[in-house]
Amino acid sequence: MSPSPSPRPNPSPSPAPRLSARALVRRFGGVTALDQVSLDLPPGRITALTGHNGAGKSTLFRCLSGADRPDSGQVLLDGRDITRLPEYTRARLGLARTFQQIAVFPGLSVADNLRVGAEQAGRRGRLEADFAVARTLRLLGLDHLADRHASGLPTGTLRLVELGRALSAEPGVLLLDEPAAGLDRAESEQLAVLLTALAADGLAVLLVEHDRELVDRIADRVLTMSAGRILPAVSTSAASTPAPAPSDGAADDA
Amino acid sequence: MAAPLALQLAVAGLSVGSAAAITGIGLVVCHRATGVLNLAQGAVAMATAFALRQCVVVWHWPRALAVACCVLLLAPGLGFLMDVLVFRRLQRRRAGTAETLVAGLGVFVLLVGAATLLWGTTPYPDAPVVVPATPLGTPDGLLITLDTAVELGLVLLLAAAVGALSRWTAFGTALRAVVDNRRLAELSGIDADAVASTGWAFGAFTAGLTGVLLAPALRLDPYGLPLLVMETLAVAVAAGLRSLPLAIGTALLLGIGQSELTMLHPSGAAQPLLQAVSSGLFVVALLAVALLPGRLAAGLSALPPAPTLSATTAATVTATATSAARTRQIGRRWAAALLLLVPLALRGGDVRSLLPGPGLALILLSIVVVTGYGGQISLGQAGYAGLGALLTGALAGGTIPGLPALPAPAALLLATAVAAPCGLLVGWPAIRRRGLALALTTFAVGTAMSRFVFQQPSLTSGLRLDRTGAWADDRLFYGVELALIAAALLAVHALCRGATGRALGAMRDHEPAAYASGVDVPRLKLLAFTAGAALAALGGGLLGLGAQAFDPNAFDPVLGLLWFAAAVGLGADSASAAVLGAMVLTVLDASTTAGVSAAAIGLLALVRGRLVHGRRAGTGGSTAPVPPEQPPLPVRLSPFGERLVQRLKGVPE
Repeated sequence: MSPSPSPRPNPSPSPAPRLSARALVRRFGGVTALDQVSLDLPPGRITALTGHNGAGKSTLFRCLSGADRPDSGQVLLDGRDITRLPEYTRARLGLARTFQQIAVFPGLSVADNLRVGAEQAGRRGRLEADFAVARTLRLLGLDHLADRHASGLPTGTLRLVELGRALSAEPGVLLLDEPAAGLDRAESEQLAVLLTALAADGLAVLLVEHDRELVDRIADRVLTMSAGRILPAVSTSAASTPAPAPSDGAADDA
Repeated sequence: MAAPLALQLAVAGLSVGSAAAITGIGLVVCHRATGVLNLAQGAVAMATAFALRQCVVVWHWPRALAVACCVLLLAPGLGFLMDVLVFRRLQRRRAGTAETLVAGLGVFVLLVGAATLLWGTTPYPDAPVVVPATPLGTPDGLLITLDTAVELGLVLLLAAAVGALSRWTAFGTALRAVVDNRRLAELSGIDADAVASTGWAFGAFTAGLTGVLLAPALRLDPYGLPLLVMETLAVAVAAGLRSLPLAIGTALLLGIGQSELTMLHPSGAAQPLLQAVSSGLFVVALLAVALLPGRLAAGLSALPPAPTLSATTAATVTATATSAARTRQIGRRWAAALLLLVPLALRGGDVRSLLPGPGLALILLSIVVVTGYGGQISLGQAGYAGLGALLTGALAGGTIPGLPALPAPAALLLATAVAAPCGLLVGWPAIRRRGLALALTTFAVGTAMSRFVFQQPSLTSGLRLDRTGAWADDRLFYGVELALIAAALLAVHALCRGATGRALGAMRDHEPAAYASGVDVPRLKLLAFTAGAALAALGGGLLGLGAQAFDPNAFDPVLGLLWFAAAVGLGADSASAAVLGAMVLTVLDASTTAGVSAAAIGLLALVRGRLVHGRRAGTGGSTAPVPPEQPPLPVRLSPFGERLVQRLKGVPE
């Protein structure tokens, strides 16, 4: 996450990818959902994944996060082969994800939702976890809701809580499955600013999103999937698109 | 000329097989129409059988009239009432599997409690015979009796009627539409409520029919018949809750198989085992369909991923958000502590009648840990309690080869330690199972333990559960129980607070998100089930030592269902509520007639399911922020973070 104490990645033109997929194949019965898909997520970049329903986006997402296993191919996190590792181990190694349908822990308070993410990522020390949680709460503007139960909060807030759970683990890679679904315009705007800034701070972001406007605004790279393959790049870098928010020093670093 | 024995046995087995098939048809049809597996099926069967006995034996009604009233009016009426009073509400708001399951258990326990209140627990040997076993003929020396012919005929008739109805009538189309998408069906002008009511009424009708057909072969009591019918769940599950022919085929095959096994007479140690298997083939089948990957895993786990019981329980393990909740919790703690201490001030005989309190509290506490904290449904805790009692007795009696007879305290602790890893028996399957599939698996394991272990004379002979020395004094033994429950509460508190408690809560609330957050869910499930098994075993051991005898009926699987309903009804995630509830139930059992406590639990489980939802909806509606109870940490973001916060605040609304 942004105020991460971890060393900043070297913002060279082609930094080593944080997360890579190598020739992933996934078949369901006779259907090939992923057909030799390869993908690199470099640090400091937002990569968007688009495509029609059934193109294989969700399968790719699940294979990357560990919710599903590819039939062949490799998933590498910082060069380490994590193809066979279960989802929770990947999460502990710094691979965070959110869900298309909001996934929070309704029986826990907002702060505890975030704390689960921080603790499981290895911040076992109470104080260390406390600070990770407090920082994330502050960052997302959730301070005043810290002790509220997550059940019954409005959709936009719940999306933030879920994002906070992922961010409080201070991940290196963030996989987002339609994070703007159900958000109103202002909330979507807030999300765009946040994601751009997080990426600027070195986070590798993969965004599966239908909101084309959001994708065009914040993504550095747009990949389109069709019939289980990633189509040759046609989209240009978002560098040509005007940045949404006034950029400042930190954002310019990346 | 007599027909071969195998053939004769096959025909004899058809009778039980047919009864199971009728229940199977009802379960499948009811599930098709409502999406709910009716766990109260066995209780409806029992209630109908009792009602028939009342009409015929006590009121001397003509048999045909009594059967018509009970099977055609009372049983379907019960089903209709269950739908209108309980399940319709749940389905309207698309309650999760866990909630409907608890509601079904509530109905089950309520009916068992009501039957116990009305008719007591003494078994009646005189359930009226509906179809006499009149010999019809002996083709090729094979004796065919009227009852077998009628039962088999009923199976075929019901199957044909259901098949025809669902294929060729408008009702059948409506049924399929409602099952596929209730809301859409209603928009198309289909009365979904009527379809569901019909499903419930039909399911209950088959339950009643099974009950009156099976009862004459049994001694009728409120526990035996429901359990027998619950065991035939195997038939419906094997059929994936969809296929009628498969359900009927499985039922008949199991019935015949059970009968054929009596032909074998192996010598030595295999003899009691074979007897157990042949009398409990349906339990073996239930265990098989529950444990083997395949139908159950594919069909039932694929239900919508409704988060587990968290949907019905509002409070949380680690954080109580409002001061009202905290006050309630403190009140419960004091009440539980007071009730636990009261027996110390009572006269000797009264202390003895309250000895089961702490043991029961430990068993309910085990359900709180597994279900309330961990979100894993476990209907088999009675099995672990029985195991605790059995092992304590065996260790104290020296019946385990190679081990000397241990003093009771050591036996109790060692039994708890040995029973704990047995929690993995359901812990392993639980890793890949949820909701209904997990409920059936845990129930099957508990039932199998009861059938194949607790009720085996060879395994329960030579047990020693009498208290000697200082423990012989009831008051002192009660003091020991108090110390143990205090230790258990502290252990549970230590286990379920902090990071582990939050991880448990995360697993309970949203398993996929817990995985994604880095929670080692498989390990946590094993931990929850192991801890649950240890607590239940300790409680069971105390129950055994309290009564100074091992009684397999004290750990009947039906009691396990009752305890589950009690723990959930009391608020699945509150340890103090579990202790309080256990003491109240013990006092009720000691001071009132049998059945009051069961009826109370049933009502509690039903009412509570609705109340909790109401309260939850209430808290959800308010958006007023609750002031933080601690001053916020003095957080300092990095300069970058501070700029980002400023920028986010500046976002145009």
